[in-house]
Amino acid sequence: MGRPTTVISPGKRLLPAVVAIALLLPLLFVGTAPAADLSLSSKTYLRYYERELAGGNKDTFAPLYEYLSADATNLGGMPVAFHFYGWGRVDLSDPSGSGKESGDLGSAYLEYLHPQGNAQMKLGRFFLTEGAAMETLDGAFVKATTPLGLGVSVYGGAPVEQSILNGTRVGSSLYGGRVFFVEAGYAEIGASYLKESGTFQEGKDRELVGGDLWLRVGGPVELSGQATYNRSVREMASQRYAVRIVPGATFDISAGYESYTYKGLFQSTLNPAFVFPAFDNDDKVRTIFGIVDWTFVPGWTLEVAGKNIRHDKSDPGDANRGEAGLRYSYNDKKDVAGFSAAFVAADREENEYREYRGFATYSPPKIRLALDALTQQYKREIYGKKKAYQVVASAGYQVLAALQLSGDLTYTQSPNYTKDYAGLLRATLELGTTTGGKK
Amino acid sequence: MTRRISFSAVFGAVLIALLFGCSAVSQTPSVPPKHPEDLPQGRVDCLECHKDVSTGALKPYASVRHSRVFIDSHGTYARQGQNLCASCHAPAFCQTCHARKDEMKPDTKMGDRPDRRAPHRGDYLITHRIDGRLDPGSCFRCHGNKNDSRCKQCHK
Repeated sequence: MGRPTTVISPGKRLLPAVVAIALLLPLLFVGTAPAADLSLSSKTYLRYYERELAGGNKDTFAPLYEYLSADATNLGGMPVAFHFYGWGRVDLSDPSGSGKESGDLGSAYLEYLHPQGNAQMKLGRFFLTEGAAMETLDGAFVKATTPLGLGVSVYGGAPVEQSILNGTRVGSSLYGGRVFFVEAGYAEIGASYLKESGTFQEGKDRELVGGDLWLRVGGPVELSGQATYNRSVREMASQRYAVRIVPGATFDISAGYESYTYKGLFQSTLNPAFVFPAFDNDDKVRTIFGIVDWTFVPGWTLEVAGKNIRHDKSDPGDANRGEAGLRYSYNDKKDVAGFSAAFVAADREENEYREYRGFATYSPPKIRLALDALTQQYKREIYGKKKAYQVVASAGYQVLAALQLSGDLTYTQSPNYTKDYAGLLRATLELGTTTGGKK
Repeated sequence: MTRRISFSAVFGAVLIALLFGCSAVSQTPSVPPKHPEDLPQGRVDCLECHKDVSTGALKPYASVRHSRVFIDSHGTYARQGQNLCASCHAPAFCQTCHARKDEMKPDTKMGDRPDRRAPHRGDYLITHRIDGRLDPGSCFRCHGNKNDSRCKQCHK
């Protein structure tokens, strides 16, 4: 705890190099490329909202966001692709965040997908989920499966701390891997390891050992499990086990058990939010859950979910959450209308609330209309109020095959806002040289 | 300390042995990098066209049918591989929600898609006080568990 928390992420130090390499690498293929499949997605948002300040003054916010993603596949006629995703913000009025500008490079990487065995390689900045890892890193990832079904994946590089704050703690390097066995259609079992060098909990590196399992035990019944052990603090971080029955295209049911410890799952010693008395670091959460998804008539789907959450500590105490919803899809599945009701019943009154939501969309040719209404009712008053409402109305028009313009108007009434109106304009541009796939 | 070094060494040795010892890569065809046909709007049901085991996930297509059950547990499948996901979803799709630095809530970005299961609808600044107390583990699937810095922004 004695170390100052202001460090520069290695990811940030490497950012210019990553961007340069990632952008220049595809050029290697330009001379040899008979063709490449290109796609570009640009989503531009202009938001407008006001916030009241103490003393009766108002701040007006108009942040302009651009989310850009680009994919070039089949580079040089080879199974090589380049992927890019990033976003940026410029405030046209008062600063809406830390400063009037911000942005992030989410991913920029070169990918090789081998035609056999799902072997693959990634190089650059990418988001990775593999066994115990759910990371963004500047580095490399390799995965291959042998004819026996044994497989291995390894990765390494510099971690990218995807934090909204600057100067938060991040390690100097991150590496790990997963060994697995897969029998197509019946089983996949894996063991994984992750290590991030740095000063984390108890002044140690971040070190995780994971296990994962998917097993089709017979007919439509499958079992899945996932567990992660935090070696740094010698605590089981999290476990999740579920049984799922999927007999066909109309019915899906799952039930399971999940648990995690605050000390094992969170890097809790670094975060005052999880320090006693706000939260007790020794707390453990055990959850039993069940979900049903049943399309009982074509187009009509019933969704029911329940969760029993038990804490070791009386604060926050235990709770039950239940939810039931009905969805109706129409207009050749382009449109959906739905209604749902949820409740949280808890040991402590301040944790109880109910929620009701209804929505509908309507998409005649070239037009997209949507309406979404939500209300929450809290058992105990929050800032003197027990209810919250939000209504979002959206309308869009397909100007060109590749360009859609739309706008949302949001009205919110809640313990935070007496009456809040917010607007959003959205321009979505989708360009591509081929059909199929990406969405 | 010695145990830690030996554990890493053993794990590394196993990885290297598997990489170089089993030199041949499976000849099973990989999942195509891109779904060959345009996909319809709305929740996709692979079972409308596919009946067998996916060449990418090596799991039955029924397992990846985009029902509420799958959507709630997609992380379990993604942690075993994303090839099949990437055949239909652009790489940036995951980061619509799993983007820890992002400033816009998913439901704000997708105000025109109320059918999507976007988290944080309504004034979530209020509701997170309850959800975050009761099940903080659910927050960290998108916000990360390393520095908890999104929490730190206010919980100083």
